[in-house]
Amino acid sequence: MIKDYKLPAVNTRQLCFLIAFLFPIARFLEAPRLLASAAKGDLLIPALLSLLLQGASIAAFLFLSYKTDKTLFQLIENALGKWVAKAVYFLLTAYYLFAAVLPLLDLEKFSYAAFFDTAPTTFSFAPFFLLSAFLCTKNFKAVGRSADLCLFLFLLPFAGILLMSIGSGDFSSLLPVFSEPFKSSLKAVAVTKPHFADGALLLPLLGSYKYEKGAAKKAGVAFAVSVLFTLLFLAFFYSVYTTLSPREHYAFAKIAQYFPALAVVGRIDLILVYLLSIVYLFYACLPLQLAVDCFCKAVNLEKKGLYSAVLHIGLFVFVLFFNSRYDAVYALYSQYLYPLFFLFADLLPLLFPLLLIKKKTKAGTK
Amino acid sequence: MVNKGLLGDLIARPVSSIRLKEDDSTSTPSEEKEAGQGQMGGKKRQNAGGRGEVSLKILRQNLLFPEIKEKTSLQEIVKEVLDGNALLLADGVQTGLIIGAKFLPVRTVSEPPADVAVKGPREGFIEDFKTNATLLRKRLKSPALRIDTLRAGKRSDTVIGLCYLDGICNPDLREALQKKIEHIDVDILPDSSYVTALIAPRKHSIFKSVGTTEKPDVFAAKLAEGRVGVLVDGSPIALTLPYSLNEDFQSGEDYFVSPFMATIFRLLRVVAVLFSLFLPAFYVSTQLFKMQLLPLGLTLTIAKGGQELPFSPSMETFVVLLIFETLREASIRMPKYVGTSLSIVGALVLGEAAVSAGFLSTPTIIIVALSGIGLYTAPNFVETGSILRWLYLIVAGSLGPFGLILAAAFTLYYLISADSFGMPPLAPFAPLVKHDLKDGIVKYGMEQLDERPNIYRPQNKTRLRTRQKGERRDQRL
Repeated sequence: MIKDYKLPAVNTRQLCFLIAFLFPIARFLEAPRLLASAAKGDLLIPALLSLLLQGASIAAFLFLSYKTDKTLFQLIENALGKWVAKAVYFLLTAYYLFAAVLPLLDLEKFSYAAFFDTAPTTFSFAPFFLLSAFLCTKNFKAVGRSADLCLFLFLLPFAGILLMSIGSGDFSSLLPVFSEPFKSSLKAVAVTKPHFADGALLLPLLGSYKYEKGAAKKAGVAFAVSVLFTLLFLAFFYSVYTTLSPREHYAFAKIAQYFPALAVVGRIDLILVYLLSIVYLFYACLPLQLAVDCFCKAVNLEKKGLYSAVLHIGLFVFVLFFNSRYDAVYALYSQYLYPLFFLFADLLPLLFPLLLIKKKTKAGTK
Repeated sequence: MVNKGLLGDLIARPVSSIRLKEDDSTSTPSEEKEAGQGQMGGKKRQNAGGRGEVSLKILRQNLLFPEIKEKTSLQEIVKEVLDGNALLLADGVQTGLIIGAKFLPVRTVSEPPADVAVKGPREGFIEDFKTNATLLRKRLKSPALRIDTLRAGKRSDTVIGLCYLDGICNPDLREALQKKIEHIDVDILPDSSYVTALIAPRKHSIFKSVGTTEKPDVFAAKLAEGRVGVLVDGSPIALTLPYSLNEDFQSGEDYFVSPFMATIFRLLRVVAVLFSLFLPAFYVSTQLFKMQLLPLGLTLTIAKGGQELPFSPSMETFVVLLIFETLREASIRMPKYVGTSLSIVGALVLGEAAVSAGFLSTPTIIIVALSGIGLYTAPNFVETGSILRWLYLIVAGSLGPFGLILAAAFTLYYLISADSFGMPPLAPFAPLVKHDLKDGIVKYGMEQLDERPNIYRPQNKTRLRTRQKGERRDQRL
């Protein structure tokens, strides 16, 4: 065995790829429709506001990794004690499970829309839980490497889809900017918060990611690329569907279907969509992976397999029950529970650096 | 097992001449004394040796054979004799002389049938360890080349050569591999594939964790990259570690043609393999779950052809693939002349008849044939690819394109999370090793490949020095 290897599980490049190529996919499914229904042609403004909030939590994560090599658990344990650390990890477990629900339901509905001409049963979606259960048994090194894969799986299909849809877009529909009251943009921020809550997904990577020189700049560029991808897609989406946008579920699967050459060669755009779907599969599994990891750390479990299996059986039962209550679950999240996302994805990452200050005061340094 | 002619000329004749000399009392007393003192425990007997007995020294002086070893342990002597060497025992001498007159039947060095090259060397390894080591040494005339000889197999006592370039290969890797081989406890080791199975980190994986080659030039090049090689006596297939999936899409010939051509070949192989893995599954899933994926004209043509078929598309593709695999298996096992006619019967007569009889549709046969051919562009990937193709077909037939995507994601994640001897199989793509992409799918020119691949963590990185210190690229020539 080539020993290592004191290399971190996730390196700066992989962190950047996570930000640039994995996170944007979360905003391609239902977020465009929700943004358009709340902010109409101004949908780019709430998206930008949400992304800025996310940028702050990414910056907080980088600051933490710059200041300490410790894992989040060790950081909390050092500052507040073991039991508080365990409690926070239980809370994070709960949050990640809670945050995994919408991507899961989105994926289910999206799979029915994009992968089937027929009317599939819920059992057609069940194998996803096998994949997810398998992913949850893997460590953060695999998460980092999946980010590397996302570079190939994201860039080409994304560019292809945009190129195919450019001809059918009317970009003037995005003008004038600020045509809607700012209040509607704020409402759109709240409604789509579950889709812009990726800041929290980085927290458990603390300790597995070691800050390298120049990482802040690279992460900044990656974040800018992520913002660009998101805004580009939203702009294309609204320009293609304009006033119909609020009704277009999973537009991402059909935005390129109006490309004239497709009549001759078939829906090859769907192949690009399917490739991007692999990225979405990785994204949908990420909160579950983090939930399993946090739980195992909180209860000091070495093997993740059993917990992962139990969790996924539970999730499958949940999907079976709430499959037909999709709209109700969505309404619950976007109308009542969105503050939880603000708390965990935006506020919590900004609070964790305070633990460093407390530790320093205790230790009497600086 | 022994070369009798050599034994007669270089051993028996000189020995008989010693006897003649001794009979003539030509050996001096001082020689006899020296010889007697040189043997542990044999002093008494040898000193007691008088007329008619011969000393070890005299024997060694008179024997003309170049490879003679002295052995005193009965166990070692038995081992050497079982290896095919001759043993010379002399009355009064307690040391056995092992004469390396082993003469084992070996085939001649020829081009390996599974690794044919249009350009480049055509030599292939054979079943003899010494010949293989010589073929390697011929290409790497460096004192840094080490071939550590290990033995495994309780009954076969097979020689295993651990080959590496000292100062280049990562010592951690070599030590780990050596330990693994030393721990092999098996009855017989007839082939290197046994070693692969016994040292593989993932025993139940359908993916290889050890690279294989039958060509000494490829083997030498891999050692020069920093890998460790394993030669097993009795096997023409050499092993190389660590293994990356990327290797299966490379050919020795890529390094003997222009980098542009090599890149095109590699791209072709990747595309062909992807097609062969996914095409049957894709066809079935479009027929059953997502017809939109095909253009309308093609959908209508397929629908027209399949109207009166007795099987569903998934069953039909399954059957055709099964026939294909059966024909392939049979044509490999059959004698060559029968195999050729069998291929013709299988491909033309059986296919044509099945379509005419209305059992199978033409598109399915075309798709399976394309898939079958495509996989052979990467011969080392055939085993894994064949299994994957079946899996994807079954998944696509039951779950459609969504199942196919799930299976692809599962495969990818499995590959990125599985390390083989410290190296992920999908490297240099995941994890992305920018430096090593120069010899990934895109092949750079030799001048750009001036450093060994980083993924093997070689001790010495420089592979090619074309510039003097301070000289700019444009200053050369």
